[in-house]
Amino acid sequence: MVKDIQHVDVLIIGGGVVGSAILREVARYSARVVLLERNPDVCEGTSKSNSAIVHTGFDAPPGTLEARLLAGARELWPQVIEHLHIPYLQTGALLIATSDEELATLQNEITPKAERNGVTLSPLTRDEILENAPYINPAIKGGALVEGEGIIDPFWTTRAYCENAVLNGAQVFTGVTVTGMSVEENCISVHTNDGLTFAASLVVNAAGLWSDEVARLAGDHSFALTPRKGQFILIEEDHGVSHIILPIPNRISKGILVTPIIFGGVMLGPTAEDVQDKSDLATTAAGLQQIRQGIARLAPAMAGAASARQFAGLRAVSSTGDYIIRFSTASERLLHVAGIRSTGLSASPAIGRYVADLARDQLGLALRANFIEELPEYLSETHPNEGDVICLCRSITRGEILAALRSPLPPETLDGLKRRTGAMLGDCQGNICMPRLMQLFQQQRGSDLLALNKNYDGSSPVVARVPGREGV
Amino acid sequence: MSGMYDLAIAGAGLSALSAIAAGLGRRRTIMFDYQDEPGGFLKHALPAPGFETAWELIRSTRIPQGLTACYGATVVGLLPAFEGGEPHTLVVRQKQGTSQVQAKRVLIACGGLEIPREHAQIPGSRPAGVMTPIMAHQLLAQGYLPGKRAIVYGDAHYSRVTAQRLADAGVAVSLISASEAQLVAIEGSPRLQRVTFRRAGETSSMEADLLVYSVGMMANTHWLKGSGISTAEDGAVQVDAGYETNVPGIYAVGTVIAPSLDHVDSLAMGKEVASLLGGTP
Repeated sequence: MVKDIQHVDVLIIGGGVVGSAILREVARYSARVVLLERNPDVCEGTSKSNSAIVHTGFDAPPGTLEARLLAGARELWPQVIEHLHIPYLQTGALLIATSDEELATLQNEITPKAERNGVTLSPLTRDEILENAPYINPAIKGGALVEGEGIIDPFWTTRAYCENAVLNGAQVFTGVTVTGMSVEENCISVHTNDGLTFAASLVVNAAGLWSDEVARLAGDHSFALTPRKGQFILIEEDHGVSHIILPIPNRISKGILVTPIIFGGVMLGPTAEDVQDKSDLATTAAGLQQIRQGIARLAPAMAGAASARQFAGLRAVSSTGDYIIRFSTASERLLHVAGIRSTGLSASPAIGRYVADLARDQLGLALRANFIEELPEYLSETHPNEGDVICLCRSITRGEILAALRSPLPPETLDGLKRRTGAMLGDCQGNICMPRLMQLFQQQRGSDLLALNKNYDGSSPVVARVPGREGV
Repeated sequence: MSGMYDLAIAGAGLSALSAIAAGLGRRRTIMFDYQDEPGGFLKHALPAPGFETAWELIRSTRIPQGLTACYGATVVGLLPAFEGGEPHTLVVRQKQGTSQVQAKRVLIACGGLEIPREHAQIPGSRPAGVMTPIMAHQLLAQGYLPGKRAIVYGDAHYSRVTAQRLADAGVAVSLISASEAQLVAIEGSPRLQRVTFRRAGETSSMEADLLVYSVGMMANTHWLKGSGISTAEDGAVQVDAGYETNVPGIYAVGTVIAPSLDHVDSLAMGKEVASLLGGTP
């Protein structure tokens, strides 16, 4: 069946933090802009499960595009945070050396590298660290403060990028998978699983871990990505942690860190495990054990703390070692934004700007006159008589839930609602309020409860009507 | 609802109802509960064999004249008095909005939350179809099956009642004892497919699309953070022999002080607190 072809100027594949940041920046121009996300919500892949740090990039390899964009993002973040009302806290990070060898690495390698990246590290003695952070292992040798490091809500950031773009005329399609691309003379035809076809003057491939496979759809085999798994342990008690605690990074990763969470609690992790399967999000006993062992060196008190939740995320490791932001070998109308490693969130404002500049130059786009810079605070727009609590553990009200369901990019899944409101994230993990949330979904959106998923297709909390109550 | 009360009760579950049935709250008393009816979270599983006393209490307890019962009204904060003789303040959220209520004495009877799978750090995926009994009971009450092939994992009488409820609705149920079998893996995506147990060193897997994790309760005390009320390592409110917390005039009773105890203990504690706080025994 041939459906109407939609002609667009820029089509972005992937609604992670990178694709969404690009969408917002491209929406500044007079252009028809569309984003396709195959998951039922934005921010589902690498953007979802990470340390939620806005990183300065002090340890990025100097001279790389990654280092340059991380430096650029440092300038842009304050405005982005203000305009999109993103929950953010500049906590600073304490780099902790647990041995004389690590202290030497810090002084002789990491500090000069940070200088080259435009970030000043302030050396701290062991005593100064323990005074600031009494939960740190007293056996440490010293360290440094990285003042510019901060914590943020990655989902809020991604959602707000998209909502702001939608407010400025962009379109976001969730639950739509790209199944084929054909390079034509003046455009690329993009085919999707639900029969939509787009003819795009420029396609931006921001498909995260899958961007190598998206490239192959256009006959471009120029790069490959492999997944690296990171497991995390979440702790509800904050143990007085007010800084990000970083070990001395090694070649593979930044190591296992302690990160305060913007909404309370502490995150321990991640591991760095090279895996095969791009959908392997399982936590393992060995991984969780490794996190606890890693933390024991930094902050022994936290190593044994009770955990409210554990999860795993996957990040992309590229064959080149740097960001891959360039036009495809198959067409000048396909622009790859891939291999963004673990720094996509931190660099996203600058990646968005950089890619939008490329799109502007390629297509000759002009800025729109009336771009709306600031996102209204939809999520606090509650109505009278909606003040009762639905999520008991987090004291979240009916009004807050309904505001999320009424927003410009409303959730399609229960996880989407969770991430917009914080409901179901408390001690009971949604066991008390999820049935009520399902009813609110049904009332507000007319959802069929059997088709209302937790996240992916087939993940509804219910599988059938109770026999004999089908008509109820 | 505003004004000054002699007593404010946070929670209308079994311990509160038991105290009321024993004479507590006859004058200038106000009671709040998150749910739309009294009876606590256990009510969703009732009536059921072995819970006759609790069911009778929920059905028969009359709210006395001097007690204002507010349902769909959740206490989200407690601000103890600065000095003796001054009232305590409760922050309450209900349909009309957030308000404050003052009371000379406060009884914390807000019960517990079921311990979810997430607390046990069981390796594996995070599929749909893993829940605690409260969710299964509510979904059944809404007319939906949470699965077709269920494992109920737990040892309590409540676990058995939950298994029976599911079976009555046409679900194929296996009841697995948590004291005999350790849960070592949860697999499946997007929906639960397999659960693995270890018994006496032997590992075995079972196919299922629903795991009801029913290993016990934890105290519902997150809302007391910052209030100055002392809680134990496991979150339970600490009280003396007279059910009084570390703050004079603030008392606690039921699952919130002893999450490992049974509903029968909540009934007994409710009676005792009524006599101590001035009910008729």
